Amino acid sequence: MIKKDIPFREDTAKYFLPWMSFLMVFIAVLALTGGFKIQNILNTWQIGVSGSMTVQIPAYDAQGKSREAVLDEEIEQVLTILRSSEGVLGAEVVSDEQMKALMEPWMGGELDIQLLPLPKLIDVSVDAQNLPNLTTIKSELAKQVPSAVLDSHRIWLDSLLKIIHMVIELISFVLVLLILTATFTVMYSTNASLSVHQPVIALIHMIGAGDFYIAIQYAYRNLKLIFAGGCFGLLASIGLVFLISYFTRYLFVDFYPNAVLDTLQWGLILSVPVWVGILGFITTYLTVLKYLKRFL
Amino acid sequence: MIQSNKLTNPVAEFNGVFLRYPGGHDVLKEIQLTLEPASFHFLTGESGAGKTSLLRLLYLNHLPSKGRIRLFGQAVDTLNRRQRTLIRRKIGVVFQDFQLLEHLNAFDNVALPLRIEGVRESEVKRHVTELLAWVGLEKQLLAYPDTLSGGEKQRIAIARAVINRPQLLLADEPTGNVDDELAKRLLYLFLELNKLGTTVVIATHNKQLIKHFGFPELHLKEGRLEVIPENKYMDMAMKLFARGEKHD
Ligand SMILES: Nc1ncnc2c1ncn2[C@@H]1O[C@H](COP(=O)(O)OP(=O)(O)OP(=O)(O)O)[C@@H](O)[C@H]1O
Ligand SMILES: [Mg+2]
Repeated sequence: MIKKDIPFREDTAKYFLPWMSFLMVFIAVLALTGGFKIQNILNTWQIGVSGSMTVQIPAYDAQGKSREAVLDEEIEQVLTILRSSEGVLGAEVVSDEQMKALMEPWMGGELDIQLLPLPKLIDVSVDAQNLPNLTTIKSELAKQVPSAVLDSHRIWLDSLLKIIHMVIELISFVLVLLILTATFTVMYSTNASLSVHQPVIALIHMIGAGDFYIAIQYAYRNLKLIFAGGCFGLLASIGLVFLISYFTRYLFVDFYPNAVLDTLQWGLILSVPVWVGILGFITTYLTVLKYLKRFL
Repeated sequence: MIQSNKLTNPVAEFNGVFLRYPGGHDVLKEIQLTLEPASFHFLTGESGAGKTSLLRLLYLNHLPSKGRIRLFGQAVDTLNRRQRTLIRRKIGVVFQDFQLLEHLNAFDNVALPLRIEGVRESEVKRHVTELLAWVGLEKQLLAYPDTLSGGEKQRIAIARAVINRPQLLLADEPTGNVDDELAKRLLYLFLELNKLGTTVVIATHNKQLIKHFGFPELHLKEGRLEVIPENKYMDMAMKLFARGEKHD
């Protein structure tokens, strides 16, 4: 049985800790829910950073008239522009053989590729860490080879993905900050309470109370306060999430279902008060042990 | 086998013990002391002579700044936290300023050492009720310390110190706030425990009490300890001497 010799009623932690826990859990649950939803959307898109883009030089000219073939000199110009751009790792013309292989499923093996007004494709691999400046490349192309088209959808997508990954990293960072803040708050509050009750603790220590006996009272007491505050924080946060979902459902009808959380994610979110409680329990216990070292 | 009757390790042994508080001078100097099991000593000396300080060394509130102390046969400077805790549980202390917990009533204050040891609640209830009745506080079981008189608080402090039948009982001016009759009655409580084997050290200024019980006196003077042997027959001897003189 955990004894209650320390007059906890008399210190301020009972107001302070539940509020702290309420806020921490509220923010953590919002961040987690947001993070999970973004992750789920990403997963349904099933794409990652690819690091490539394509330049097409169509087999018709700027006026829409078809022409015999794409001029080699145009290809050279495009390759030069691309290869001299920062962030471009390489640019290669897709050969006729490769084109043929690509077309085969639709056209059959007997295809004479020279007869078709196919565009020339240039495969450009880019540095995913240092994406080329697409605006400059586009304006260069427009100046020198107006018919060339830069297909950069993948790149835009890649940039978007990078931003989303940054958001997820940011959320993780916020969570780490929250954990640190919560830990320091619990340490601070415990130390404050320990100083208030110093005479009582000194006495029970003197008459034979072990460190465990004293520390467990504190740990258990803080666990209750933190868990209670955390539960309310969870309720408030989930309430807000549902409210937001309710409105976004009307705004992004197609988009929304992707973001539904799975059981594991729900489990993690619902258990946040428990984790915060355990963290508070351990932090309190260790803080008290450290404090007790001052008594012989 | 040969050593088997050497159960009688001294309860406490001081060997050239000095105590100096941080930033102060030596409060206790070169203390040489052996407390045999079931012995009974008064601890005397002027205010500031170091009585409380000596008791603090005995209940492991301080370590000596110099010299060696053994408690229950163990050198105190070699003990770990857990071992110190276990030794403290063998020691009952009546503090000079009582040190009652203001937020606990008389019953819970006295029950504290038992609960710390994890004694069953039914046992706790039986023992505490009995003991509080013995010290005349059966009606104040549920009273809080700040509603009690000095003497009543003192009796609670004493009850708390003896509730778990300590092997060593240290009392710092335990009878300062009660009249001589009650003082004697309380000392008989210590005597009862002493008969059951508890080693007792009582710091007091009360000459009358020392005279009445006649136990040896540990006398502190400017931090140095002097042992004044048992003077049980002192009163009688004095009377005989006085009578002889008269008849002369
Ligand atoms: N915690 C402390 N820190 C520094 N000095 C102390 C401390 N406690 C006691 N002293 C000093 O040690 C000396 C002895 O004090 P102690 O309390 O042991 O005396 P005492 O014999 O119990 O006196 P009294 O009869 O008045 O209770 C005093 O000079 C006192 O000022
Ligand atoms: Mg004193």
